Amino acid sequence: MADNNKNNMDRRSFLGTLGSAGLAAAALTSFPWMTSCTPKAASEVRGEKTRIGIIGPGSRGQLHITQLLQMPEAEIVALCDIYEPNLQAAAAICPGSKLYRDYREPLDDKDVDSVVITVPLFRHYEIAKAAFAAGKNVFCEKAMCYTIDECYDLYKTGVASGKIFFVGQQRLFDPKYLKAFEIIKSGELGPIVNVRNYWFRNGDWRRPCEPEYERHINWRLYREYSRGLMTELACHQIQNGTWALGMYPEKVMGSGSTIFWKDGREVFDNVAVIYTFPNGINMTFESVISNKHFGMGEYILCNKGTVDLTRSRLYYENPAPKSGMRQLLGEIENNIFTNSAFAGTSFVAETGSEDKGVSIMPEGLRSDGTFEIMQAFCRAAITGVQPPKILEEAYYASVYAILGDEALLQEKTLTLDDKYKI
Amino acid sequence: MKDITISGKTLRREMLIVLGCFIVAVGVNVYSIIKYRTPFSEIFTQIGYTLILTLALLIVVTLIRLIVCLIKRIFIKK
Repeated sequence: MADNNKNNMDRRSFLGTLGSAGLAAAALTSFPWMTSCTPKAASEVRGEKTRIGIIGPGSRGQLHITQLLQMPEAEIVALCDIYEPNLQAAAAICPGSKLYRDYREPLDDKDVDSVVITVPLFRHYEIAKAAFAAGKNVFCEKAMCYTIDECYDLYKTGVASGKIFFVGQQRLFDPKYLKAFEIIKSGELGPIVNVRNYWFRNGDWRRPCEPEYERHINWRLYREYSRGLMTELACHQIQNGTWALGMYPEKVMGSGSTIFWKDGREVFDNVAVIYTFPNGINMTFESVISNKHFGMGEYILCNKGTVDLTRSRLYYENPAPKSGMRQLLGEIENNIFTNSAFAGTSFVAETGSEDKGVSIMPEGLRSDGTFEIMQAFCRAAITGVQPPKILEEAYYASVYAILGDEALLQEKTLTLDDKYKI
Repeated sequence: MKDITISGKTLRREMLIVLGCFIVAVGVNVYSIIKYRTPFSEIFTQIGYTLILTLALLIVVTLIRLIVCLIKRIFIKK
């Protein structure tokens, strides 16, 4: 309960900031999809609800259910899953909803206005396309689809339908990221020179299940259903570069292999990918799931400073010097305790800066944008107005994640065919 | 328990020693400000460091005085 209150406070203060004069206009210019997050947008939908069906309420779907139950703009009316334990677990969180076992049933249900699709990647295209055909608004978890062709077709279908179409790229609504990108786009830190992303874990990525459900539950590990680290993790981080630079990569190359978890999985357990933008700037994505020392990191490197997006900290290239007294004490300490080499190497390692940086957002801000993006979807579903740019950002994040995976598989440098550019 | 009486002369001497340490610490701060070209407002903003340095100097001075006192006693006894 305390946590919930804290999160609500965070959201209120964040939205309050967005609603304040001056910043609001600037923020909405840089982040046009935030239009449905302002206090004005909230007042426009007051008292109205969109009726939602959740298709595939596994772990992610159940998180959405928990959050949707807190939103005055949402009413969950239907749950659908072919895996009975997940369906029953979701029904326990959200009693009173209609239960379906075939995704076509909630799509035929006239009481359902909008669907949240949280099924394995390989089924996104089929279900989302059917949802648009049935006249539903669609919130689909990332990545958008399994192939670039599917992404392109679904994008066109979504736009042509006139319905609301969101993909779960929640960083677009994360207050930490919004504030960081506001600083980056102000030019205060100089031009961007590099984008560095990594996601390290130490675990097999498996979920316990009966052997007959292995491929069904652990779908992330099999090529038939997933592109592994690229669509599950890189998809979020690749967006940082395109968002920061306001352009899309020209080419992608990389290497991937299975080095540790040789347990029958078909997707790589370590990847290193480089995306190069038209202006020559590189964006890297690295992921290893057999060592978690570095955890998750997302950095925008500018000429005058580095922004750590995940920790919401800013490191200036030339940080303000310490006080004279501290410098003097530090110098005395160095003179006393540092050995001077007399016959060793003259090489001094260029170790990284030990500057602790400055905080961009208040410590303890816990929202990651998941609540905000879903609330924005609900509001958009009520008003019928698709927020600008949100779908395009999601489309390119998915497309470049898939292109990166293709580069790993083909062991080639790949470019995105012009026909997929929107 | 026996009362300890500190004479005015002793008290004044000890206070002068503390003041002396404080002045030296302020002097070090001023020196570092000039050496590293930092703002003179650090005379006030770095007062915490100045006080810590004062204390450190006081400890050093006290140790020296104790040693001197000890040596004096040894020689006087002889």
